[in-house]
Amino acid sequence: MSDRLDELERRIDGLRAGVRRAMRAKDPATARGLRAELRAAERAWDALVTEDAAPGTAAGTDGAPAAVPGPRTGGRGRPRGGRLVTVREQVHQALTLLGAPAQPRLVAAVSEALLDGALRGAQLTSLRRDEERSFVSSPYGRPYYLCAALTDRLSPARGLLTVSTWPLERRVVGPLSPRVDFLTCAMAVARHLGADPVAALDPRALRLLARMARNIPGATDADLGPPDPDRVAGAAAHELAVHAGRDTRDRAELAGRATSQLDDRARLFGASTLITVARDTVAGDTVTTSGTAGGTATRGRR
Amino acid sequence: MNRLDALRGSTPQKPHDARAIAALAANPGCTRRALLDGAGIDKDAAARHLGFPAPFGQSPFAITRGNAFESLVKADGCAELLRMLRELLGLPIAEVAYHDVENVGAHLRHAHTRALFDRAARDGDDAGTVYDHPLLSLRIAGHTAYLEPDVVAFQLGGRFHIVEIKSFAVIDGQADPAAVAAAARQAAVYVLALRRMLAELGHDPLRVAHDVVLVCPENFANRPVATLVDVRRQLGVLERQLTRMTALDRLLDGLPEELTFDLMPGEDGLPTRPAAELADALRRATARYAPDCLSTCDLCFFCRDEARQEGATDLLGRHVRDELGGVGSVGEALGLADGTRAPGEGQEEIARLLRNAERLRRECLA
Repeated sequence: MSDRLDELERRIDGLRAGVRRAMRAKDPATARGLRAELRAAERAWDALVTEDAAPGTAAGTDGAPAAVPGPRTGGRGRPRGGRLVTVREQVHQALTLLGAPAQPRLVAAVSEALLDGALRGAQLTSLRRDEERSFVSSPYGRPYYLCAALTDRLSPARGLLTVSTWPLERRVVGPLSPRVDFLTCAMAVARHLGADPVAALDPRALRLLARMARNIPGATDADLGPPDPDRVAGAAAHELAVHAGRDTRDRAELAGRATSQLDDRARLFGASTLITVARDTVAGDTVTTSGTAGGTATRGRR
Repeated sequence: MNRLDALRGSTPQKPHDARAIAALAANPGCTRRALLDGAGIDKDAAARHLGFPAPFGQSPFAITRGNAFESLVKADGCAELLRMLRELLGLPIAEVAYHDVENVGAHLRHAHTRALFDRAARDGDDAGTVYDHPLLSLRIAGHTAYLEPDVVAFQLGGRFHIVEIKSFAVIDGQADPAAVAAAARQAAVYVLALRRMLAELGHDPLRVAHDVVLVCPENFANRPVATLVDVRRQLGVLERQLTRMTALDRLLDGLPEELTFDLMPGEDGLPTRPAAELADALRRATARYAPDCLSTCDLCFFCRDEARQEGATDLLGRHVRDELGGVGSVGEALGLADGTRAPGEGQEEIARLLRNAERLRRECLA
């Protein structure tokens, strides 16, 4: 144990020197990263010292003292996000857990509450554009891309993130899809918490589940107690059954159109709107008078 | 409309937005405002040039707060909104279809809105429930203003409801009456625009409900709550005001031919017209100042200053002005009260009341 303490102390010294160098070189980004590592190392040192002082109380709960129980993780041994996992990977994990197109706000909430991530909404704004750029420069160079959901005009839907490995049916958005996706996400969160009773004790996870459950009929009682994951999943599945048929039809039709009309890039990141407008006239949509609603549109509530 | 263009002169026209149109309904009796708005004159620029800039415009914090609350209500496929509509209007579970009109390019949004609503009104239940970011238009004195309601919800009963999302709090079932009134006026503009659009498309305009759904944060939390607000009265005022604006000729007839409110912007867009000349021109059109103007009209400080110089009873608020019917100025009212001024014809009643009030006041102070 004291070997590890020595090693940590050496590491802390090294990191302090690194922070000082980065500050002198006026490189705040590196300094911030090093500082975060430094703080983690110091926390690890604290934990080891207290463990040494009181052996048998904290040691050996999960048999791996390297997985440092930070104040937030509560010793659940889950990977600490933010430092080791890239933003891209964190988003991927959250989306895979949800299994449906989701807004950055939800992705960040899920990542924080269930995966111990540290995403901020602002970090996700340029993500899709960066992914597209990477795809254009070397197509299919990565195992997965974070890409857009496609609207009924096959243009990218505003503010929805998806994963390129999903089937196209899951990545398109029909009229009912926002609701269906919300229910799918709620079910995924509820099942995740139902399967992991330790995670279900985390107040952040419960808050997320409660927020979702509130908007699903029959998922909560009138009282203010924490929602029951199984019941939330059941209620979501119940409502989902109402919409599933029509939504599946809509999505299949959209996916068919996307497959036949779009090239690889547009299939992942959406067609630009003008192209879709030209194609929509083929699809029989009423887009005739285009000059009337000019740029003079003013947002009424501002 | 040539007279109106002459009134505006070489200054570019200012498009109306929902706030400005709603403010029309706030003071329907003001000729000055009716003329300026009818001609599309930039009142803010005029007020600044006259030396009476109005401290208008929302604070950036309020705008950020409003946007954050709106995105909270609309998050996850309008999950919160659907819950509230289900509770409030009894929206069936199956009705969740969501259309984002903004999916098309900006220049097509109005046409797309029309197409979507035409389909919705024709097909009935099956077409859609929630329309996000629609773009409506309203003809105002010969010009088209484009308006953007927060959301429009379509209800199974075949009626459209306007949803207005505002970030002022409803605490214990009570909200700031002034804020609610402003929201209702604004929502009435949307209801009217949507009704006119349906009428143009050959549908029954009354399919747009006069009850709007007002969504606000509840108590001290950020949790949204919805209430139905009846905007029939606001609709009435607005319609009257809009017809009045199209019938501006009557107001124009009383004005001299050569009158213009032109700012004469120079090369750099700054007004070159002497401020005194512009002020004289504006004084030719009678204003009807009321303290409420301070929160709705850009020219409020100019009109208040004018009312102060004249010692007009307008300064004391609408209620007092109406009570003092037939008495033009504060000085006249005081003169009637202490008897230094003989009441004119028709002023006997108000003079008696004023003298009584003065006597009571003196007795109280003695």
